[in-house]
Amino acid sequence: MAKHILIVGGGVGGTMLANQLVGKLYPEILRDQVRITLLSNSPDHYYKPAFMYVAFDLFFQEELKRPERTLLRPEIDFQVQEVTRFDFTGQTVHTRSGRRMGYDFLVVATGCVPAPERIEGLAQGGDHFYQYEPARQLARRLASIEKGRIFITVTFPQTPNVPHQCGIAPVETTLMLDDYLRRRGVRDKVEIIYTYPTTAQLLRNCLFLQRPTGEILPGLFAQKNIRFQRGFTLGKVDPDQRIAYSEEGDAQPYDILMATPPIRAVDAVLESGVSQAANQEGWLPTNHETLQVYGLEGLYVIGDTVDLPVSKAGGACHNQAPVIADNIAGEIRLGKTVAVYDGKVQAAAQMGLNAGMPLTYDYRHDVLPTPPTKLGGLLRNGFNRGLYWAVARGML
Amino acid sequence: MEVTDALAVQGENPGLEAFLSKLQPLLDGGRLDNLVDLASLLSDLVDLLDAAMVEKLSVQFEQATALSWNLGNAIRQATAQTRQDSEPPGLYGLLALLREADTRRGCALVLRTLNALGRQL
Repeated sequence: MAKHILIVGGGVGGTMLANQLVGKLYPEILRDQVRITLLSNSPDHYYKPAFMYVAFDLFFQEELKRPERTLLRPEIDFQVQEVTRFDFTGQTVHTRSGRRMGYDFLVVATGCVPAPERIEGLAQGGDHFYQYEPARQLARRLASIEKGRIFITVTFPQTPNVPHQCGIAPVETTLMLDDYLRRRGVRDKVEIIYTYPTTAQLLRNCLFLQRPTGEILPGLFAQKNIRFQRGFTLGKVDPDQRIAYSEEGDAQPYDILMATPPIRAVDAVLESGVSQAANQEGWLPTNHETLQVYGLEGLYVIGDTVDLPVSKAGGACHNQAPVIADNIAGEIRLGKTVAVYDGKVQAAAQMGLNAGMPLTYDYRHDVLPTPPTKLGGLLRNGFNRGLYWAVARGML
Repeated sequence: MEVTDALAVQGENPGLEAFLSKLQPLLDGGRLDNLVDLASLLSDLVDLLDAAMVEKLSVQFEQATALSWNLGNAIRQATAQTRQDSEPPGLYGLLALLREADTRRGCALVLRTLNALGRQL
């Protein structure tokens, strides 16, 4: 009986891992000893970092997606199925269409979903750039504002030491916003206020979740006349009066509230009952080195669904996928895991409309910021427009 | 200014001194100019790169890699399957391959590709 490797989730983590597993286990696949299935709730694959650009009218929807099938090696059985229930002890998943699939190895690659409804008034009063339609709504507002206040907030999960999606995105979008409003000729009449909550993973009263980058932000913001405020943990929004209230007791008016919202794991993961996370967030208890889920056989997790302190971003998946591929191959061939994830994440941050800053960090080292450059920006643009798809296919 | 003049400042910067003395033969042979000109050319190419140019290059990269990946995957899988046949298919066996829906889709793809090629002639 062939060993069945099931990957649930067709985002960048699931897609690149499926392709890498085919390459790694090709001899077994040829002999029908291993088969690989990928389930996604959508036939399309979205390049999610592009949504941030959608908010500035810089990316078309047609350009940021591809059919998932075209990103997967033919040896992978790809099915558009939504998993509604995980039975981890029974090593089975159940789908919305009523199918049951058993597995020997399962990789949970379901990502996370924004949950603005978890802060009173935020869904009605706030905007974000983490999904397409919300980004389009924000784009319409940013394209038409002539004067006023754009207030930026960041909400972290309540599970300790877990980040929000893409740690650098609030800084990126703040700097892009500054360039964008200057380009529109309204920057002098629109105030930009960047705020950060009191608790950001292990740091307190800071402007960023890592100290070295946090230390350069005041200078960077001051140069561009961007105001900033520490210790603003968004607690409530009044969408009619357009006021953002903080847990610390502050109240700030806004014309546009650009808020990184609360996030959680998908329903099926939440309902599996395996999470030890706070606040019904659903992150799975992850071995930070092997990326196995603690206490369950043949179960791995990649990307946004982990409960690790590293970024919920493709740049983390990129380094997690080879580790998981090696570990699954190790378990099949040697009966044990063989690879260790060192926490590495890399990206090219979009620091303004044209400048970019490559960055990297891991469990033991913070990002060391460098001056953003035009070449860095072009690298990011090249990634957005072409290199990403090679990464998803497991080529880069 | 002679490089050796700079070297006269002894002990100030041993790394720089080592670097400069390594460059000395290039200078003597009149070949350092090429490297400076090359740096200048690279700088010009970087200046030429803008978002639109990068987008064109990236799209071409994606199209080229996607096509070669696609074809390579197909040939690899077909090779694996064909190797498993102890005998090559006979004529009827070849026709029988067309019973598979995906094979017929592939044939339609090839015929339409020929059509597009013809249109470009």
